[in-house]
Order: sequence, then structure tokens, then C-alpha cells
Amino acid sequence: MLIAVRPTRAQRRAADVVARIVLSLSAAAMAVVGVSMLLALIAGDAGAAEAAPMKPKDAQTGTLFLKSGAGTNLAVPLVTTDVDIRVSGTVARARVRQVFRNPNDDWYEGIYVFPLPENAAVDHVRIRIRDRVIEGEIKERQAAKAAYEQAKASGQRAALLEQERPNMFTSSVANIGPHEEITVELEYQQTLRYDGGRYSLRFPTVVGPRYIPGSPVAAPLPTAWAQATDQVPDAPRITPPVLRPVEGAKPVNPVNIRVVLDAGVPLATVASAYHAIDVRELDAGRREVVLKETAHATRDFELVWTVMPDRAPKLALFTEEREGKSYALLMLMPPALATSAPRLPREVIFVIDTSGSMHGTSIAQAKEALELAVRRLDPADRFNIIEFNSYAQPMFAAARPATAENREQATRWVRNLRAQGGTEMAAALNLALNGRESPDRVRQVVFLTDGAVGNEDALFKLIAERLGDSRLFTVGIGSAPNSHFMSKAARVGRGTFTYIGKVEEVKERMSELFAKLESPVLKNVRVEWPGGDRVETWPKRVPDLYLGEPIVVTAALDRTDGDVVVSGFLGESPWRAHLPMSRASDGEGIGVLWAREKVAALVDSLREGSPEAEVRAQVIDLATAHRLVTRYTSFVAVEQPRARPADAALKQAAVPTNLSEGWSYDAVFGELPQGATDAWFNALIGSLLLAMAAIALAARRRLSFAPVRAHP
Amino acid sequence: MRHALVSYPDVALGVECAFPPPEGALRHRAGRVRRLARAGLGFLVAALLVAGLWQVGNGAYIHAKAELAQILLAHAWNRTLAGERHARPWPWADTWPVARLSMPSRGVELFVLAGANGRTIAFGPGHVFGTPLPGETGNSAIGGHRDTHLAFLRDVALGDEIVVERPDRRLQRYRVDWLQVLDKRETWVLKNEGPTRLTLITCYPFDAIRAGGAERYVVTARAQDGLL
Repeated sequence: MLIAVRPTRAQRRAADVVARIVLSLSAAAMAVVGVSMLLALIAGDAGAAEAAPMKPKDAQTGTLFLKSGAGTNLAVPLVTTDVDIRVSGTVARARVRQVFRNPNDDWYEGIYVFPLPENAAVDHVRIRIRDRVIEGEIKERQAAKAAYEQAKASGQRAALLEQERPNMFTSSVANIGPHEEITVELEYQQTLRYDGGRYSLRFPTVVGPRYIPGSPVAAPLPTAWAQATDQVPDAPRITPPVLRPVEGAKPVNPVNIRVVLDAGVPLATVASAYHAIDVRELDAGRREVVLKETAHATRDFELVWTVMPDRAPKLALFTEEREGKSYALLMLMPPALATSAPRLPREVIFVIDTSGSMHGTSIAQAKEALELAVRRLDPADRFNIIEFNSYAQPMFAAARPATAENREQATRWVRNLRAQGGTEMAAALNLALNGRESPDRVRQVVFLTDGAVGNEDALFKLIAERLGDSRLFTVGIGSAPNSHFMSKAARVGRGTFTYIGKVEEVKERMSELFAKLESPVLKNVRVEWPGGDRVETWPKRVPDLYLGEPIVVTAALDRTDGDVVVSGFLGESPWRAHLPMSRASDGEGIGVLWAREKVAALVDSLREGSPEAEVRAQVIDLATAHRLVTRYTSFVAVEQPRARPADAALKQAAVPTNLSEGWSYDAVFGELPQGATDAWFNALIGSLLLAMAAIALAARRRLSFAPVRAHP
Repeated sequence: MRHALVSYPDVALGVECAFPPPEGALRHRAGRVRRLARAGLGFLVAALLVAGLWQVGNGAYIHAKAELAQILLAHAWNRTLAGERHARPWPWADTWPVARLSMPSRGVELFVLAGANGRTIAFGPGHVFGTPLPGETGNSAIGGHRDTHLAFLRDVALGDEIVVERPDRRLQRYRVDWLQVLDKRETWVLKNEGPTRLTLITCYPFDAIRAGGAERYVVTARAQDGLL
């Protein structure tokens, strides 16, 4: 363009005309767009200005389902769950069958978000379509998703099982034909909790609505009630639509549970606190337990048993040979030693969750537990209470002595607490944990909550950073607490956790917790396996153990002869035990439990700053070898022939979930009417834009009349 | 064509330059840059003007709608008093007046609509479904915009009198006895327990520039005497 071409007069005129036409056309186009937007706005009448930016708690989808009543007429696939659990000693193996039923004339994809125990190692997934069985394959998460999407698009029946949290999973089933049933069957292995002489098996059935902190960063999706936020980027994956309970109507998602219990030693008691059960005695140490009637996915199932006192196991050691490697699981009950360590004064900080999800029976349980705890304090102790919902608020500015007067004041304060609003847990943890060390007293933080939050990892990180020499004890409240939060927060906080599922349990559970708070801790536990450094044990560091808690470790070994040496300090007294490996018995799925523990440890290392790419690669290798579902690996199963005709469309729906039992829909999702318009904002922005237009116009004029500076 | 347009500096998009076209390639380039800048600014002016007018119009429209609707509602209220049920203020309305709320000391007169969703309260304060109707026994909740109909709540003081007229022409007097700022999730204020009262809800703070905050200003007025 550097070559100047002298155009003719005709060319000049033509160019001028073209330029004018282009400019006026574009101005006209803009005017048309502007005017039509204005018209659309007026015609729409609701007015974009009145639509407030959606907050995560707005539950748009929830209200959509609300209109359909309680379930029976929902135009979405529904799920029936059948659970079969075999317990042998301290290990359980479960088979969960989810039957997806499509009640419509259309083809559907069903998406179901459901909970499992937080330490479940899911190692098998298959789908059943009538009499055909298709085994699932474990794949890297993105690859599994891609395989599933491909099958979905090409009309094949397929299922995908993904992990959202260690205790929350999603099964997606594509191309469920009209009025057809497809069953997703998954199997998992877990170690059971043994605490204070009681074994407990907990099977959660519903994911309670989680509080999603942060500001929205993405558009809402029809399959979830929350949008992705800066703090919870995967919010839509963990917030399935929630049905508003309708009086007299049954909840959805029926659940049947059968447990075959083999304690290995004669049983004393078998009980279920929240469900009516039928117990059939097979022999002294074996029982078959079934639900008296079909339950619905509204609360955790818990089976608790004790064995004859003189037969209580002190040690359980299982080994499994798998692909040239030996895996071992050790459970050891430390002896109850009488210690006479001087009792240090305590400072106890109670934190009580008063968010909307606690409204109803949960807050009643929490208050009762807190009142009991306050009454038990010794005048030599100091204490404080922090309540939190959208904000956190301490009762006293600083911890005060537990005098009769202060305790009385605290009791009154607790009685007046009301559950409403958000769950800004970080604010409460910041108040409760100060990161300080003070050797002259024992500082214990007792945290009463249902853990209904979506930002667990951030909270664990906060706990680790601010713990200092405090210890964090979580008390899981209500019908469906977030077990992953309860156990991991306590682990990171070097404390322990307990559950309270109904008011009648408060006294017993809190007494047990207090016994733990007041008894010496087993510390510096070391487990030395035969084979020395070549043995890989998980968890690498055994956590501090409280009264009644056993040591549980897994290991991968080269040899299974010699002794295991376990040592530790109970208070100030050293303790040591030699266990010959010859006492081990054969166990099944021990390798999977070991791999699951290792995955958990690898994922935990992310908090300490391990590079994600490295952790991811290690987890994928491990999970592929052991066929485990993890945050980086999923199961996918695809039926080969095409099922859905090319001309039939596929619809997508999230399987609605029930509100957890005892919860209040309005306290979680309800809110006061909004009362503001954006009129002033519009006026302000409009004026700014007009001012800018004036400036631009002035600049344009200057440009028109300014001379072009001649170059020398 | 394009070649001719870009290589000749004299054609300044419809406006002749004040100076004769300079000679030489460099000068040609300077002219071209200037012309493009002018064209760009032209677009910018047009775009800013349209967007600015749109925004201002939008803001004005919200207020105009709020004012105009109350006039139409006055007519519908008269029809309601004459015995018509669900008297719609305009043919396609999905709401109707359920009460007349006035505050004689402040010259406020408002017609309360059925329903307190965003669509309704653009036209007037809305009665929250599920709570007793204004003037009836129990806790009647009314929501409205802090910058239009319920802007007067900012100046309401304890002890102020509010009068509600019911469709049966009977009057109920209330006296303001509680002013509070709450989170939007504190739905307990809607509970139908305790004395007969009005609960007026609007957004807070009053001078926030954007809508959609989490706080609410709640004014409670307790019923005085009986119905008149």
C-alpha cells in the first residue's frame, strides 16, 4: 500500500458513496438492535432489571420440582436401591443395585447423585438390562466420560460412575428406553468403625442439600439447584434437585437393605437406631438383618452390634495374596492402662452450626448436646461458644472460666439460638482455631454440625493451617450428616468424631465424647512390619487415638513371616506389642482397602502442596491396577448394539432426591421476597454511557478538523 | 473499490478535510489512520448513545411502570370495593389488588397486590401468598421495592400509624412497633404466630445501587383495637 495510486475523480466519488452507505447501514443496524431490545424488555414486562443475579441458595430447579408434588407424576427416571452387605469381622463388602426406571414414552438419560460411606472402595460396576450383564471398565475420568458420551450419542445403553466426593458419587445411565428398566450394580469394600466396644455400619441413602459458598461463575444448569461458584466450581455436580416434601405423600427413591453379619465371635446385641429391622439368628456369631419395611432415601441407616464382653477382639490381622504381592490389614485394640498423669486445665471451645439445614430436629439435638456439655464442665476449665450461619458470632469475646454463673449464662444463650441462613463455616473455624500453642492447657474445639457444605477441601486446609495445638472434635448431627466432612475434619484436626442421629442418643454419645476428651491419648503410634523399608503402610502416620479406638493400618508386604511390632505412648507411659504374622487369617479385598487408603493419603497430600499433576498420575496408576473409583478415575459400561432409533430424541433428567428427614425445606431453600429494582443502576450506567458518547463525539470532531502533521 | 478507498486520503468518510491532501506515501498513511479512527469513533458514539439511552430508558421505565400501575390499580380497587372479585387492573394482568394501605402522616397510599413475586411487585407492593390477607387476623406479610413503592419505609418511625382498607371497606389500624435488618433467609418473620400484625419487607440498604442483595429491611406494625 505504500505505492500511491492517483485515483480518478469517478473513483473518489464512488468511494465516498460506499463509505457513506456502510456507515449509515451500520448505524441503522445498531439502532434497530437497541430499539428491539427495548421493545423486548417492555413486552417481557418482568423486566430484566428486576431479575436479581441468582444466588446459589435460590434453588431454581428445586422449585421446579416442587410444582410436580411428591414424585409419583414426575416425568423423570426414578431409582430404587437394593443393598446387600456381607460383614466379616471388621470388614464389609456391599453390593448396591440401583434400578433406573423410565416411566415415560421418551428415551431418557438419568443422572443420580447418591452417597456411600466415606471410606468405600468401589471396585466393581456393571449394568444389567433384563438378562444381559455388561461389566464396567475403569478408565481415567475424562476418558470414561468421553466413552460414555460417545455411546450416549450413538444410541447405545451405557452407564458411568463418577466420584464427586469420597462419600458422594454420580451414576449416569444413557438411553433408557420408554418404560424400560436398567440396573446399575456397584460393589464396594470398607473397614468398619469399632469404637468403645461397638461396631457400627453406616449406610447413607441421601445427599443432604449442601451450602455452596462463593459467587456464581457459571450459568445455572437444569440438573442442579446450585451454580458453579468461585469457591465450589463443581457445585452443579453435588446439588441434585430436591423435592419439597408434601404432607401425606411418600418420599421417592425406595431403599431395601439386607445385612449378613458374621462377627466371628458370639454376638451380644444387634440394633438399628433409625430403622425397624428383623434380625434372624443364623448361629451364635451370625445374623441376617433386613428392614421391616422398605425405607426411603431420607436418612442414614446404621447397624450397631457388640460381641460378648469376654470375647471382644483385641486383634484382627488379615492378609491377602494378589498378583505376587501380600496385603495386610491390622486392627489392634490398645490396652486400657491406668495412668495418673496430672490433669492439665482445659479450654473447650464449642462451635454450633445454626444454619438453615440444621432447622428442625437437628438444632434440637445440637442444643441438647451443647447444654449437656456445658453442664459437665469443671470450674477449673475455661470455655466459649461460637454459633455460625451466614455469620459467626462468639458468646464471650474470649474464653471464660466455667463458673456456675457463666455456665448458666451459656445455657440461656444456647436456648435462644435459632437455625437459619447460610453455612459460612470458614468464619467459625477462623474464630475457633487461632493457630497458637499453649503448653499450660489442653485446648479442645467441639464442632457440632451436619457438615452440609460443598467446600470441604478448603475447610480441611484451613483447619490444618490454623490448628496449632488445639484438637478438633466433630459431632455429626441429624439424619444425614456429611460423613466425609466429619471424619476428615477430625483427622486433620487430630481429634475424633461422633454421630448423633436423634435426641435420645445425645446423652450417651456426648458422655462417650467427654470420656474421650478427659482420657489420655495414645500418641506416636508406630507399626513396624517384617520387611522393613520395603513395606508400604497406609496411613503413613497413625493418628492419635482416643479412649476406645483401635489402631487400624494397611500394608503392602513382600513377606508374611516374622512379627509386627506396634508401639506408642499412652499418656506418658510407653507401650509395645509383638504380633506374630502367623496369626493372620486370609481376607478378601484387603489389597483394595490398602489402595483406597493410599489414594486418600495421596489426595490429602494435595493440601500440603504436592503438585496435582503428580498426584493425579499416581492415583490413576494405582486406581487402574486395583479397579478403584477415585476423583480421577471412573467406571464406564457400554452395551454394544445400538438401542435408541436414530429418529428418537434423548432427554436428560436428574433423579430428584428427598429432603433429609427432619429438615425444613423453607429453612434451606426459602427466603424473603426480594424488594429492589435496578432502576438507579440503569440510570447511572446510562448516564455514564451518554457522557462517554459525548466525549467520543468531541474527540471525533477534533480529529475531523485537526491538521495532519506534516512529516519533515 | 477497496483499493481506491484506502489509497486516497482525501475522501474522509463523507466529510471533506479542511486541508488539501498532502503528497507522499507517508502522508497518505497518516490520513488513512485518521480516517479509520474517525470511523471507529463514529461507531463508538453511536453504540454508546444507543446503550446509554437504553439504560436510562430502562431505569425510567421501571419507575413509570410503578407509578402508572398504581393509577390503574386505584380503578381496580374501586371495582373491588363495589363487589368484584379478582378485579384485574388491566386485561392481561395476573394479579389484582387485595388491600389499600395508607399512611396518612406521610401521604402514602398504595394498593397491595396478590403475590409478592418479582413480576407482581413491579406494579405495587405484593401480599406474600400463604400469609393472612392484610386486615385479617394473623401475620400478614407484604413485600415491595425499596426504591419505588416501599421507599417510604426508610423514614418510618416506631409508633407511626398504618391503615389498611379491606375489600369489604372495613379498616384496620396498625402501629409500627419493630424495625429490623435481616438476612433474606430469615423466613421466620413470615410465621403466622403471635399478635395480628403487618410485616412489610423490602430490600436493604435503601441506597444500594444494585438489586439482589442478601439483606432485608423488615417493618412490623401491630394491629390496634378492632376493625373499624
